[in-house]
Amino acid sequence: MLDAFEIISTSGVVLWSRTYAPVSPSVVDNFISDVFIEEKSTVAGAKDGASATVNPPYKHEQHSLRWTFSKELGIIFVAVYRSLLHLPWIDKLVDNIKAIFVSLYGDQLKKPNTMIVECVKFDEYFDQQLQELEQGSGKPDARAFIVEEISGTGEDGPPLSFSLAHNQKAQTNPSAESSPTATPNASRPATPGASHLLVAKAGPGGKLSRRARKIQNSPSAPVSSGDEATARKGKPAKTVKRGRKWDADGLADERDDVQLDYSIPAVTSDSEAEAGARPAAVEEVDASTWGSRTKGKFVLRDLGDEVHSILADADAKNAAAKTDFQSGIVGSSLSAIGGLFRNVVGGKVLTKQDLEKAMKGMEEHLLKKNVAREAAVRLCEGVEMELVGVKTGNFESINSRIQKAMEASLTRMLTPTSSLDLLREIDSITSPPAASLRKARPYVISIVGVNGVGKSTNLSKICFFLLQNQYKVLIAAGDTFRSGAVEQLAVHVRNLKELTAREGGKVELYQKGYGKDAAAVAKDAVAFAAQEGFDVVLIDTAGRRHNDQRLMSSLEKFAKFAQPDKILMVGEALVGTDSVAQARNFNAAFGSGRSLDGFIISKCDTVGDMVGTLVSIVHATNVPVLFVGVGQHYSDLRNFSVKWAVEKLLSST
Amino acid sequence: MSTIDTLKAAFEASLTPTPSVISIGLAIVLLIPIILHFIFSATTPYTTLPSVLLVGPSGAGKTALLTLFERGPLYHNNNPAVPTPVAETHTSQTPSTVELAVSTDRPTTTYRTDLDATGATAKKFLLIDTPGHPKLRRHALAHLASPSATITPSLLVSPAAQKGEGAETSKSKLKALVFLVDAAALADTDSAALSSTAEYLYDVLLTLQRRFLRRSGSRAPSNVPVLVAANKLDLFTALPAALVKSQLEAELSRIRKTRSKGLLDSGEADGEVVGGEEGEGWLGAVGSDKFSFKEMVEFDIEVEVIGGNVVGDGPGADKWWKWIGERI
Repeated sequence: MLDAFEIISTSGVVLWSRTYAPVSPSVVDNFISDVFIEEKSTVAGAKDGASATVNPPYKHEQHSLRWTFSKELGIIFVAVYRSLLHLPWIDKLVDNIKAIFVSLYGDQLKKPNTMIVECVKFDEYFDQQLQELEQGSGKPDARAFIVEEISGTGEDGPPLSFSLAHNQKAQTNPSAESSPTATPNASRPATPGASHLLVAKAGPGGKLSRRARKIQNSPSAPVSSGDEATARKGKPAKTVKRGRKWDADGLADERDDVQLDYSIPAVTSDSEAEAGARPAAVEEVDASTWGSRTKGKFVLRDLGDEVHSILADADAKNAAAKTDFQSGIVGSSLSAIGGLFRNVVGGKVLTKQDLEKAMKGMEEHLLKKNVAREAAVRLCEGVEMELVGVKTGNFESINSRIQKAMEASLTRMLTPTSSLDLLREIDSITSPPAASLRKARPYVISIVGVNGVGKSTNLSKICFFLLQNQYKVLIAAGDTFRSGAVEQLAVHVRNLKELTAREGGKVELYQKGYGKDAAAVAKDAVAFAAQEGFDVVLIDTAGRRHNDQRLMSSLEKFAKFAQPDKILMVGEALVGTDSVAQARNFNAAFGSGRSLDGFIISKCDTVGDMVGTLVSIVHATNVPVLFVGVGQHYSDLRNFSVKWAVEKLLSST
Repeated sequence: MSTIDTLKAAFEASLTPTPSVISIGLAIVLLIPIILHFIFSATTPYTTLPSVLLVGPSGAGKTALLTLFERGPLYHNNNPAVPTPVAETHTSQTPSTVELAVSTDRPTTTYRTDLDATGATAKKFLLIDTPGHPKLRRHALAHLASPSATITPSLLVSPAAQKGEGAETSKSKLKALVFLVDAAALADTDSAALSSTAEYLYDVLLTLQRRFLRRSGSRAPSNVPVLVAANKLDLFTALPAALVKSQLEAELSRIRKTRSKGLLDSGEADGEVVGGEEGEGWLGAVGSDKFSFKEMVEFDIEVEVIGGNVVGDGPGADKWWKWIGERI
């Protein structure tokens, strides 16, 4: 069954919700931040108003979420259910609810400066939809029985109309009307005067509830529904007879029928309890829906019609929008002139055609900046999706609008989810607060990357920075493969020692020569550092080709042995489209529980404005860029500034 | 033929300088600007409402507080549209704005009182909620940085969620800033909540400080007082306001220290520091070892820490409301 259904505005307020089983709010929170803010699971298309069938389901622990998004109004519709269940109608439910909600409350949502949407009445619409769709998806045998029952009610014509007449009378009784959730059971002793009215309705009411119950049962317990059905087959006939008798005899006979009619819901509920398939709470829900159904059969019917007309309207609108789109291509000359004028003056509502050409230009521009095509296409699609239907400002051309949107989009992509303050993090690990249970230990950073991108150079740059801040650093020579790698590090260490001798830092090299297992060396280095009281361990690794499985597989063992706090990958700004594959493969190489923590982009000084590699790798992995290398000296390491990168990417020279 | 003649006659008549033609011409010339003025003034909202910005890390309760203030009077009048005093909330993606009113002559009123019913003179203001997710913080920070202290709500709102035309042109003067803090999460020393909260607060305060330092001489920007609202005091594990203050101050001084020692940002060459002024990146008084919120007074930023809670039993949000009311 459905666990919860929520309608949420983009500003974070839950406009309407229905919960069947408690769902932690963090499920939906994670869904929003993953899908909408960080755009992790979906490459593109998360932003369009596509139906729930198109949007891939989001899975979080044991819950699955189906969702759809209305861009115009900024509301998200989410259905939460257990991943184990197969609910074929769930997409349809989400889409229909969206159509209904938008048409009913769209005007309220457009009001500025308020968050309140009056949608208390939406409960009824939702119930109607849920029922209808669940009914539609019943098992074949169950469906046959429904048909039979419907024909049964058709025979019942007279008693039905009779009971409905009473229904109208009952409306004069406020106490009966005002308690829609009360079961016949509960309301009987409370309102003895109205008892016969309720009894009269119990006939069709019982039938309805039985049908509904069976529908709810049938997907979960198809086996039991068979023999139950045979048991029940006799009963409708019985009621039919009774009903006819009433019609002929009039009201006087009703007293006798009280027990009989009343017994039907009681019996069904007993059998339900015997089945033991559902807990008491669910049964209560069932009971309340009986009540509302018995009382408000008419209301439900009307609601059904209304809902159908709303859905039909929405479909028609969609179809109309499509035809409009086609005629728009032809375009009358007058509107074309107006469009040109608007393009200069502003205040133009952007359409897909308007954007097409400009977006092509933007894509070209990004490609020229060395952004991988994959990333460029994703960015452009996102921006296009965002801009369709938006009105340009006064004296604002389409191009400047796109520029603005692209800037925002790039900024959002490159901004890290959690910012890194390396020094503070090292402090908190090496000298944890007194109240904490953690033990002081050295902070471990390891550096990975493809051959020749500058792993050792960037490692020594970081080392220099740490030494300036008076840390004791141990460099572990994890490259036990390439000739001269250890000697190269030894030279770095010697230089760094000389450079920082006055400032009080301390640096040592930990090496075991060539041919040893890199993971074991790293592990020994960390143990040695803990023993000797070093603050930071920097582990160098051998360069490896990202598509060589043999070399990449050893990284998993390395991560397990050395337990680094930070795994940084060095990527060079010079590389083009391959950066996407490099970043992806390295990110996946550390096993399921571990991924990269950040990137260092080296050689940024050699590419000028073409820093597209930054975008490509963040697009591929969602891992933030932490540092950029901007020169040959030890001091030429910089924190990554998003503003700087965006300016470079959008500058047109 | 006759039609052409009549047209010709009418054309001639319109060109002859008779008094009637002149008066009609004058009327047109004079009236059109007036009519245009009224048309434009009707479409653009005239008044600029003061505004209060709600900032804070994700999950601190910003949107919940917003809905509490908005729904207060309606809920306490048993309005059927508002079944609960606080709406359930999830992570925000876009900023949202709500128009609220404080009473100016009766300081005892709370957010719950319906000002229309009591007949108090009210002052309207906008309460602007910003998303707290780290990727979306630029919404709040970009607008704090501008020295004019005017916020255009439409710029805050991303184009996808622009609601109506009314909000687009109205500018609003920033009067105060409420920084919400989850006091219960701060109590857990092992979690990253304290450092991430303090980092955001550091950014906010630093932006305000820069704004003050870069003011153009003659027209000083209006000061923006900051309220650090320690939320969720209804929880057993929450820190009291005084502790929240000291914890934040300690963390802020730690951040200040490491930032000053950290690497330069890319794009900033060694020689030319952006702005060029000494102590640009240093929050608070230069040379002090421990940061305290009092240092911010030097930059005309008054910081106050008050505890409260949005849901559950506890001191409630009345004090925050009062603080906002005093600043409007």
